[in-house]
Amino acid sequence: MSSTAGHALALRGLTRRYGSFVAVRDVSLNVESGEFVTLLGPSGSGKTTMLMMVAGFTEPSEGTILLDGRDITALPPERRDFGMVFQGYALFPHMTVAENVAFPLRVRGLGRAAREEKVRAALDLVQLDRFADRKPAQLSGGQQQRVALARALVFDPALLLLDEPLSALDKKLRGELQEELKALHRRVGRTFINVTHDQEEALRLSDRVAILDHGRLVQQGSPLELYERPATRFVADFLGRSNFLAGVVREVRPGAMALVAGGTRLVQAVAYGAPKLALGTPGLLALRPEKISLLAEGEAADTEVAGEIAAWSYHGTGFALSVQTVDLGLLQVALPAWRAPIAPAEGMAVRLGWPADASVPVAEDSHAA
Amino acid sequence: MVRRPGSAGSARRAGAMSGGYGAGRFARGIAWATVLYLVLPITIVLPVSLTDQRFLSLPHEALSLRHYANIFASPAWLGAISQSFMLAVASTALAVAAGTLCAIGCWRLGRRSSEMVRVLMLLPLIIPSIVYAVGLYRWFGKLDLLDRFLGVVLAHAVTGIPYVVITVSAALAAFDPRLEQAARGMGASLPQTLRWVILPRIAPGIASGAIFAFIHSWDELVMVLFITSRQVFTLPRKMWDGINENLDPTMAAVAMLLVVFTIGLLWLDGALRRRRRDA
Repeated sequence: MSSTAGHALALRGLTRRYGSFVAVRDVSLNVESGEFVTLLGPSGSGKTTMLMMVAGFTEPSEGTILLDGRDITALPPERRDFGMVFQGYALFPHMTVAENVAFPLRVRGLGRAAREEKVRAALDLVQLDRFADRKPAQLSGGQQQRVALARALVFDPALLLLDEPLSALDKKLRGELQEELKALHRRVGRTFINVTHDQEEALRLSDRVAILDHGRLVQQGSPLELYERPATRFVADFLGRSNFLAGVVREVRPGAMALVAGGTRLVQAVAYGAPKLALGTPGLLALRPEKISLLAEGEAADTEVAGEIAAWSYHGTGFALSVQTVDLGLLQVALPAWRAPIAPAEGMAVRLGWPADASVPVAEDSHAA
Repeated sequence: MVRRPGSAGSARRAGAMSGGYGAGRFARGIAWATVLYLVLPITIVLPVSLTDQRFLSLPHEALSLRHYANIFASPAWLGAISQSFMLAVASTALAVAAGTLCAIGCWRLGRRSSEMVRVLMLLPLIIPSIVYAVGLYRWFGKLDLLDRFLGVVLAHAVTGIPYVVITVSAALAAFDPRLEQAARGMGASLPQTLRWVILPRIAPGIASGAIFAFIHSWDELVMVLFITSRQVFTLPRKMWDGINENLDPTMAAVAMLLVVFTIGLLWLDGALRRRRRDA
């Protein structure tokens, strides 16, 4: 495996229609060389259709696909030179592991000696050299997944496409392979495009995540950006969990604003240059459960609200509280369990508070479709 | 040969495990009667083929293999056997090539129209062979294919295609289309994908189709009666003439050999299917 950098991919106005149904709607996305980009979305969001268009199996209705600036929209899949790991791996059951990995090289007419060397190197890379002569059916799911990776990387592809590569594995194994995949990406330094509906996987693996909903690209950015500054209600809800606080804008000052919901004043920090909401308009804030604290007697916070514990559960690392409030409805609160200030009980009165920069203004979702 | 799971030894247990009702005495009786009805004509041929007489009859005083020896001493029988064999091989080759390509084409298109094509390909199986034979007779006269090796090969190949289409389509239905996508994604052209991915996966289906097409040509009589006279003289035709003209027990011996040969082919088919299941 050479250490040459990956290639850059650019999608411009990609649209795919099936009759009157629009599976992907006007998506533009740049994938930089060597980047690990994840297309994340619930089922039916169009993420797999996107990947299939990049791979060449599905023809875009509109838009272009550029590889290093060259238009490849009309190129058939067999001439794109992309490696792909399919959902369920699609290993050839009648071939051994080594034959599977050698397939892309055989197709390219490589000599036997060169083939064997590359296959050995690729199997080494995924630590499967001992299994070269097994059939895929004799391997575990995780091992099959690694064969699929070796097969997709053995011919030094321009891009590696991953279609829900870990979805067939159980949770523990998935975690291990996420680490492996990340390490592999660092080692081979190629451009990876991954498709998944698993938000945790997307956060852990990617340099950048593009979130799709109803065929639209809703937001893209680094995992941290997306988690800390979701742009819409959908993103805030899909990536992790959020409380949504609706109010009316009553005050706007440089660096901050305040919304009012019933008798509660919601103080919201506004980043420099961020668009401000107009006075008197309704606004929506997203607030992560772990950013809410329980206020002790006399303790103050930018925003404070009183409520009563409606339900709670214990998760080892923390308590999950559902707190009923008058103005903000039911709030989800994540409370670290170690040295928790209270022993939760149903009906217990609590006072919640959070700083002005804990919540984020988000837009309501725009899809009318 | 791989033993089938749940055969012989575990049959009783499997029956209990399937949770169904056991067959009643009546159903059992009917089943056995049907089996006897199907097998009896064949079992009659065996003693007749071993007769010590010179005409079609059951053995009188002793069993004799002279009629079997007769087959291999008679140029007429040997000629008919080899001609039938060559015809079957040639027509099977044609039927397998055409039927496999047709099934793969329909599978790849996967549209309504291809469903129509598949039904059309089954027509030779549905139309009574005597009707088909009359049609062939009229056409082959014009094409100068009557009583020609090529004519019989064509006729048997076309009527053998349905068997291949059926078995190959069944094999393709079990083929994971993502394997084809994977192959193309890795740069394989269509011919490469066919040769290295699709054909190896459906080979058992093709073999099954070939076996059935072979058997079909091997014992086909009606069309041969219509479109051949002297040049082409197949084994079933020779037997037919034998029954009409003289009652030579050699025929029974030939029939026995045919039965054994056909059972062998069917066993081969079963073995291939088992291998496919285990793969």
